[in-house]
Amino acid sequence: MSSEDRLEARFATGDWYAVVGDHVTVLLPASQRDRVAGLWDLADSGGTADAVLDALLAGGLSSLDHFALVARGDDSTRLIVRGLPTATVSAPSGEEVVTAAVGTAWAERVIPGVTSIRVTLAGDGDVEHALTPGLARVSTVEFGAASTAASAPSTASGTSEPVMAVEPEPEPEPEPEAPADLRSQPVMAAESEALPESPAPPAAPEPAPVPAPQPLSFGDPGDDPTLTGETPVVEDDEWADRDGQTVAGHHAPDFDRPPIPGQEIAPEVVSQPVASLVFSTGDVVTVDRTVLVGRAPEARRFASHDQPHVVTVPSPHQEISSTHLEIRPGAGADHGSAIATDLGSTNGTVLALPGLDPEDLKPGIAVSLVPGAVLDLGDGVTIQVTNP
Amino acid sequence: MKNVDLHHGAASDVGLVRKVNEDSFLVAPPVFVVADGMGGHSGGDVASQMVVEEFQRLAEAYDPSRGAEQVADAFGRAQARIIDYGNAHRAITPGWHAGTTAVVAVLVEDDGVAKWLLANLGDSRIYRITEGRLEQVSVDHSVVQELIDAGAITAEEAAVHPERHVITRALGSPEGIHPDFFLLPLGSVERLLLCSDGVTGMIEDTEIEEILESVADPRDAADRLVRAAVAAGGRDNATAVVVDVVGLVKDASYDSQRQLESLESKLGGRQ
Repeated sequence: MSSEDRLEARFATGDWYAVVGDHVTVLLPASQRDRVAGLWDLADSGGTADAVLDALLAGGLSSLDHFALVARGDDSTRLIVRGLPTATVSAPSGEEVVTAAVGTAWAERVIPGVTSIRVTLAGDGDVEHALTPGLARVSTVEFGAASTAASAPSTASGTSEPVMAVEPEPEPEPEPEAPADLRSQPVMAAESEALPESPAPPAAPEPAPVPAPQPLSFGDPGDDPTLTGETPVVEDDEWADRDGQTVAGHHAPDFDRPPIPGQEIAPEVVSQPVASLVFSTGDVVTVDRTVLVGRAPEARRFASHDQPHVVTVPSPHQEISSTHLEIRPGAGADHGSAIATDLGSTNGTVLALPGLDPEDLKPGIAVSLVPGAVLDLGDGVTIQVTNP
Repeated sequence: MKNVDLHHGAASDVGLVRKVNEDSFLVAPPVFVVADGMGGHSGGDVASQMVVEEFQRLAEAYDPSRGAEQVADAFGRAQARIIDYGNAHRAITPGWHAGTTAVVAVLVEDDGVAKWLLANLGDSRIYRITEGRLEQVSVDHSVVQELIDAGAITAEEAAVHPERHVITRALGSPEGIHPDFFLLPLGSVERLLLCSDGVTGMIEDTEIEEILESVADPRDAADRLVRAAVAAGGRDNATAVVVDVVGLVKDASYDSQRQLESLESKLGGRQ
């Protein structure tokens, strides 16, 4: 934990979630609780801004109306706001108010030498609590310009004294132990409102009781009129005898499984194709999403914004299975390259990597593809992998 | 798309226990929908009807080359209407809910080729007959399905599980909707069935298969399915939509020449 890299951060309590990692802070409305746990894992393990953004967007933008992301790099600060949040950024170059214009996906800035950032989510309260790595329920978050006055506008005090986020030791004030002390108090106080079951835990490296296997509660149960929130399941007479017994349970965020067990889920949004596939049939397909190849390929359980590209290839001798092979942008260690998986085809797939002997793909095991690789599906159909 | 001819049949029954039929369905080729509403006091039936109305609007201005997009839009419009309707009612009756499942089948053009685009929210189901066998295509958004996936219970245990009617995704959910989509080649679907859980909860898959395999006319097949569900106890509204693609030759190889010859010989054409 490198506290010296950080601008001192403070917050006012509220019902938004702040997921605070060493490098990246994500602010999400209360309704996004199901995203918080996963993001915390990533933020806590030192995930980069790109990785956190990737995870944040994995469920699609349509279900993510509002968020803010603040990432502090070596010499600049990256800021993204979508929907409601408003950020006031002070830097030696001046002050700027950043909001997402209506109709845009978000507003994004990379600002060098930031002295303070104030992100207003709901209301504009006094930022009287220290924000340290962990989770907090917030309404306003302010980075930098902290020690002066809780509610002071970040601008004046911030610009006068250019305390850079970038400098390894900008101010001697926060001692190395300080974050641990601070964390135990205000952060947990806010947290325990949301999760009454969790006893105020001591300062510990796991400040997030989110993964606890309690029933999920979305927002305040008191005013939760939802189908999926706190609706009691079977006994509830509101629901039990209404229609044919079908009742709505809680939403299950973990229900989306990768198509192949044990593999990381491919990023649903990749900014650019990771490879091109040149088919012996003459087709050329770019890998900017999942590509399914077969004699009569079927795509199953995809989201509306993530429709796989299905490529039908001829197989007069039926050597190629109906849905034979999947090629998609890699995730995790394979990020930036295409990976191929034989989907349990009858006759298998042969992969020839440049300079290596051809080998059979093992069904269900993803293999990273490099430019020059050739996949042989049978019946004379081959796929050559090239740069996009 | 022009040369795809669809024959279809639909049936719905309130059952023996319910007072109101909260199921709704739409047959507007090439758009087919079954929706199973939840929520009493004119909640569920209105919610499921709203889904049908939005897909009716889709069918009136349907562009098969933008099928997936239009289906997603129709879901979005239905969701917005159900949420608004629920909010308006809750102002008068706190705690009031309305929601609905939906299964949708539309023909789309994917790279100029006609395919089935299927979508699912909740525990209504989509089945197909492929190579003479019944196969469930959709995967329920339900608690018991999650338990099955987790290996905690078997499909047999799920049928009697106390939470078997609890669904995890639905239209009307303020958490947003996350329908599952499926894209299937036309030739892989000999017959398609959309139905509410009032059918699948009352009769076994083997009986569904027997009816779909033995009853040639899709109108009769839909009737038989619903009547069988009612005869088995009719504890829930039961709705079935059966769709056949006519003139399609089952030919796994997709060899167009062979397919054409086969079609011509079957139709008694140019000999």
